[in-house]
Amino acid sequence: MSIMRVRWGPQHPVSGQWAFWLDVDGDIVVNMEPDIGYTHRGIEKIAENRTYIQNIPVVERTSVFDAGNIVFGYVEAVEELMGIEVPERAKFIRTIVGEMSRISSHLYGLCLLAIATGFETMLMWFVNDRELFLDLLEMLTGARITYSFFIPGGVQRDLPQGFYDETMRRLDYFEQRLKDYWKMFYLNRTFITRTQGVGVLKREDAIRLGVVGPNLRASGVEADVRKDEPYAAYDQVDFIVPTEKDGDAYARGAVRFHEMEQSISIIRQALKRMPDGKIRVKVPVAPSVPKGEAYSRVESARGELGYYIISEGGNKPYRVKISAPSFRNLPAMPFLAKNVPMADIPTIYLSLDLIPLDVDR
Amino acid sequence: MSSKTLEEEIVETLKNTFPDFVVDAKVQRKKRVLVTVKKDNIVDVARFLKEKLEFDHIASVSGVDYPDKNEFLVVYHVWSIPKKVLVALKTSVPRDNPHLPSLIPIWEGANYYERETWEMFGIIFEGHPNLSRFLLPEDWDRGYPFRKDFKLRTKPE
Amino acid sequence: MKREEGKGSRCKFFHWEIGKIRDWKPVKDLLSWGRAWSLWSVHLCTGCCSPELMAVACSRFDAERFGTLPFPTLRECDLILVLGVVTDKMAKRLKMTYEQMPDPKYVIALGDCAISGGLWWDSYNVVQGVDKVIPVDVYVPGCPPRPEAWIHAIRLLQKKIMEGK
Repeated sequence: MSIMRVRWGPQHPVSGQWAFWLDVDGDIVVNMEPDIGYTHRGIEKIAENRTYIQNIPVVERTSVFDAGNIVFGYVEAVEELMGIEVPERAKFIRTIVGEMSRISSHLYGLCLLAIATGFETMLMWFVNDRELFLDLLEMLTGARITYSFFIPGGVQRDLPQGFYDETMRRLDYFEQRLKDYWKMFYLNRTFITRTQGVGVLKREDAIRLGVVGPNLRASGVEADVRKDEPYAAYDQVDFIVPTEKDGDAYARGAVRFHEMEQSISIIRQALKRMPDGKIRVKVPVAPSVPKGEAYSRVESARGELGYYIISEGGNKPYRVKISAPSFRNLPAMPFLAKNVPMADIPTIYLSLDLIPLDVDR
Repeated sequence: MSSKTLEEEIVETLKNTFPDFVVDAKVQRKKRVLVTVKKDNIVDVARFLKEKLEFDHIASVSGVDYPDKNEFLVVYHVWSIPKKVLVALKTSVPRDNPHLPSLIPIWEGANYYERETWEMFGIIFEGHPNLSRFLLPEDWDRGYPFRKDFKLRTKPE
Repeated sequence: MKREEGKGSRCKFFHWEIGKIRDWKPVKDLLSWGRAWSLWSVHLCTGCCSPELMAVACSRFDAERFGTLPFPTLRECDLILVLGVVTDKMAKRLKMTYEQMPDPKYVIALGDCAISGGLWWDSYNVVQGVDKVIPVDVYVPGCPPRPEAWIHAIRLLQKKIMEGK
């Protein structure tokens, strides 16, 4: 057996902003080591140098694909430290933005899985349907992907005129499209052959490695922060948490698909049940936060996101620790990349939906 | 007699099982328990948390620098999937000799977190299989970035 | 690889003739038009502007109608799109990638972070502007720049090439 060390990335069509070292014996990968840090900007250190409000765009760039949920965790932690309660209307608006962000992130993740399995048609379909939701977010917040819409105390703007009708119209269209996706993509024999049985992560291994999000739920563990520790308006809407038992790449794709169906239902319910009222509580521009610590958990599209913020008084945090979902899912990659053909490596890691920006922070 | 909440029961069990190891244990709020232990006994407390109290899902490992107290605080946040409670297991290490036993034998997911904490603070986790460059460039030699005495740029170049 | 100056004066004459033909204005314009409308870009995502790459390349904004195609092989590409922040670790690979590409080659710096370090100007691991590493032809501000700005940048670069710069 002669082992050859091969480097994959960062300049590679399917690698993204990171690299791996693969030990290969012929065509079989024996060992894999991630080589990360190509987008390490030191967000946690920079956050100590900015005020709490200035930190919102900083932490948002941890993962721009899912910008709504990333900032969600941060403002929840700051609100816990400051002891402020957000108005009900703001909670519902936050829920809507969070779910739209989740759908657009899942569509992006699935488009990467489509690239890995050679499905350029689905790539185009997913990216174009993502535009449906980016347009709605632009109507509400003013920006396509980095909106900085949540602030401690509430949200920046109320729903504009015409938002309700436009959202309902697009959700109806997207629901029809999801049916097409299922037929074209998930029932496609080539896709099934390339993903079923590939990268199987069993339940015990998933918990032991600390994997989160759809990857954990695809291995049969029903753990979702929106149900375990409801925040915003998630305790006032009805939804189920989809899980699968097989733990392979197909199951991970299927969980993301079903989550999108649930998100459509959550957005509809939130729009119908939204109460009137204020959209934010008045907070100073550079708020002085009392001494204390807070750990907030939210369910972002890639998994559970944790913010550990320590304040020693003043208007800048003492320490901000971001427990990013892709970093928590990273140990699954070398674990699953043992004794697999090299051609399966993109399928495995793109089905885990690891974003290097999240990993490096 | 008033019934105790789950979080209060956890605090009481820890205090009764390890009266000498646990420096402080309290309920911060619903679903949040804070436990501070001495660094030499962290492995026993962690094993008890995992095996007896079902805290199985490691969430994060953070380092915090307190130069005025001359110590680093290392915090392990662990979630319990069956109980749905988060525990923050804290310990302090002296700043001039930051050694701490690694908790990888108990929570395997702590591997990359401990490696990152070593890289950013210089805290050495004894028993860690691979404390080497992770996020920073391979030829990094400017110290430990997350320490408070490492200053960022103050003006554009 | 040094071209062998051999086979006497016939080779030299041949090269001189090709050079003259290539410098003739109609031929030069034709070559510039060809280059401008087939800019093949390298797959090197650097920072957080990369989600917009997919959006721009797909059918709504469709950068491919201008001839820009992301292509895997480095030696056949002539455009680097620097998408966002460039860290010290990535800067070395970026420079290597740039040096491996054949001439003529062009660089578009997309996003505030690629122009000057942007939001991360005080970070310990960020290069304050990619033009400290490789020369840049077009700068596109924004955080991230809108897809329309991307298309405008590609058109500006095409104009620059057609004008022979």
